Amino acid sequence: MRKGMFYGLLFTAPAILGFAIFTLGPMIASLVLSLTDYNVFKEQTAFAGLDNYMRLFSGEDELFYKSLGITFYFVVLRVPAVILLSFGIALLLNLNVKGRAIFRTIIYLPSIVPAVASAMIWMWLLNPDLGLINSLLSRLHLPTSNWLYGEGSVIPSVVLTTLWGIGSTVIIFLAGLSGIPRQYYEAIEVDGGGWFRKLSHVTIPMVTPTIFFNTIMTIIGSFQVFNEAYILTQGGPNNQSLFYVFYLWRTGFRDAEMGYASALAWILFVIILFFTFIVFRTSKSWVYYEGGDRT
Amino acid sequence: MSQPRKSVFITLALVLMLAAVLSACSKSDTASPDTSASSGNSGSKENIKLRMTVWGSPEEVAPYKKAIQNFEAKHPSVKVELQHIAADYDTKLTTMVAGNDVPDIAMMESGTIAFPMAEQGKFYNLQEFLDTDADISPDTLVPNITYSLEPGNVIGIGPGPESFGLFYNEDIFKEAGVEPPPSNVADAWTWDEFVEVAKKLTVDMNGKTAADPDFDPAKIKQYGANISTWWGVYSNFIYSNGGDFISADGKTFGLNQPEAVEALQKISDLMNVHHVSPSPVQSKNIPATNVALQTKKVAMTVDGQWASAGLAQSKFNFNVGVMPVMKEPVTTVVCGMFSIFKSTKHPQETWELLKALLDPEASIDMLTAGTWMPSPKDWYTDPALLAKWTENLDARPSGYKEAIVDVILTKGHQTPTGYVKNFNNIMDLVNPALDKVWLGQQTAQEAMDSIAAKAQAQIKGRRDIKE
Repeated sequence: MRKGMFYGLLFTAPAILGFAIFTLGPMIASLVLSLTDYNVFKEQTAFAGLDNYMRLFSGEDELFYKSLGITFYFVVLRVPAVILLSFGIALLLNLNVKGRAIFRTIIYLPSIVPAVASAMIWMWLLNPDLGLINSLLSRLHLPTSNWLYGEGSVIPSVVLTTLWGIGSTVIIFLAGLSGIPRQYYEAIEVDGGGWFRKLSHVTIPMVTPTIFFNTIMTIIGSFQVFNEAYILTQGGPNNQSLFYVFYLWRTGFRDAEMGYASALAWILFVIILFFTFIVFRTSKSWVYYEGGDRT
Repeated sequence: MSQPRKSVFITLALVLMLAAVLSACSKSDTASPDTSASSGNSGSKENIKLRMTVWGSPEEVAPYKKAIQNFEAKHPSVKVELQHIAADYDTKLTTMVAGNDVPDIAMMESGTIAFPMAEQGKFYNLQEFLDTDADISPDTLVPNITYSLEPGNVIGIGPGPESFGLFYNEDIFKEAGVEPPPSNVADAWTWDEFVEVAKKLTVDMNGKTAADPDFDPAKIKQYGANISTWWGVYSNFIYSNGGDFISADGKTFGLNQPEAVEALQKISDLMNVHHVSPSPVQSKNIPATNVALQTKKVAMTVDGQWASAGLAQSKFNFNVGVMPVMKEPVTTVVCGMFSIFKSTKHPQETWELLKALLDPEASIDMLTAGTWMPSPKDWYTDPALLAKWTENLDARPSGYKEAIVDVILTKGHQTPTGYVKNFNNIMDLVNPALDKVWLGQQTAQEAMDSIAAKAQAQIKGRRDIKE
């Protein structure tokens, strides 16, 4: 037992230490720093108590509320879109058709492309005058859009560009789908049920744990959206895509106000924690685990 | 026993965490500048190592390497380590400063973190060196390329000044039978003359120009002009019209004042009233200046002189004239700077290195390629030196000497990032408001008035006057 404990700790030490040094340590540091006026370039750092948080909530910092609102809007648009689309694609990829492996590869491929490269491609595709998408729309006599360059259309456009990279979510859905025992479908076939019955009575209940997992990961990922603002829009036009993490980055690394940026980071942490908690709580009523009651 | 071992790991983890926290907090203790070492150790025999950080393309880094070679040849006891940070320069330098891993000399940008760092006393006052140095003084440099935190406190010297000009495709003018822009500042176009020419050179899909009544602004094939919505470009016209970002006494927000508003409005009118210049949305389709002019998407464009390099490579008949003048001919002078960190242990050697970096002989390739201009004044006034980087070169067309060289020496204006305190935070308010002006949704007056109160609250004064 003693030896077992020793080796157990030895082999988990890299992970535990890595977590402690590179995640937990910096997190505690940032919590402490969020209570100070720490500015990278200043010689002196003073304890500021809750000043940073007061400044955020007092309404003095309009961009805080603005970026929060924009990020919420983005999350509300993106999470259902990602879940529905990737589930739909996973269903199709799960069909027993020829070349299934090729289709699966194609769907996953964009996830490998570096974010910067795919962002550049989207900038060309969404170009209002010369872009492929507007050219196609106008050829079909459909209305065109300013996409990333319009105040109203910028957030939906960013959502569109992020849907490009849902390959990994699809893969997780596929894993969930392939874990469903065939007998259940056969039972429905015997009873004379069609594809819709199979979907609603077997497939969806059986993948609810996967939906649950993907929803939480997508919510977290969507709150943390950054690359798109950094590369595609720089927060524009007229601050309409000033995502929360982009604003946080700007405060910390351009203005060097690390204390204030740390406070921003902790507020985001609490928000994400809250939404994850909500999804967890509601999951009891809709997530079905095999081999047990609804938990 | 397993307990002690477990506690060893936990203790270790806690110690490391604590170390991480403390090292972040206690940086003020270790970052105290070493002023005692600021002089007198240049004659020491020990080997000195200097570290320098720069950004830039490989072509731009090559001259730094050459300058360092020249410097090391003259100072055998000194080795220079060049750290090329190609992307996210400011973020990385900020992190280096936070981690007490500071270079001796760094390339800095006046619009970003240079002044915030200087305000916290991170840089040497280069005035001290300029006062005593025999080779170099403010008078031997092109005007407006030193940056000062306040009068008498120089925090950086630019290695390559840049001014703006009106670049154009000569063939377009010839085909249209229109007189190209003058290169002599005395003959410069007025704004109205510029608009008239731009109209004649803006052509729609049916071949009608913007001067024709049945011109279709929705289908423009060739724009007469391109004036970008970057402050570096529009500041030229604000200054030319007698306006400023901030009042002369440093107390009032300047962009809602009549002179600045008029200049901004006239640029917006180019896009939205005259339809001769692409709007910010349309300009996403406009390629870089060299391609835009070569492919005749644009007839003339206001750009920095660095555009000459790309134009020279494109092999077509381009030339450069002076920018149109609203009231006074002015060009904004923009450039990066070299700053010396106070934490350096070898300030004298670092200063010598800075001088080597300013030496145009080291960067002669960049000068002849067209990307850079030299910073010592005699390279503009001494005909032999001037000829080295302006004559018989693809990148230096016939109008270059008058339109760029003469203008930067006599009509230069410092970049607003160099003297407006808190420039970034002011522009965080101005830029979103201007988005509406460029799109024609608001007049310049409305947009600037709408943010004037908030912008006024961000006004912290000017760096070029004593308070």
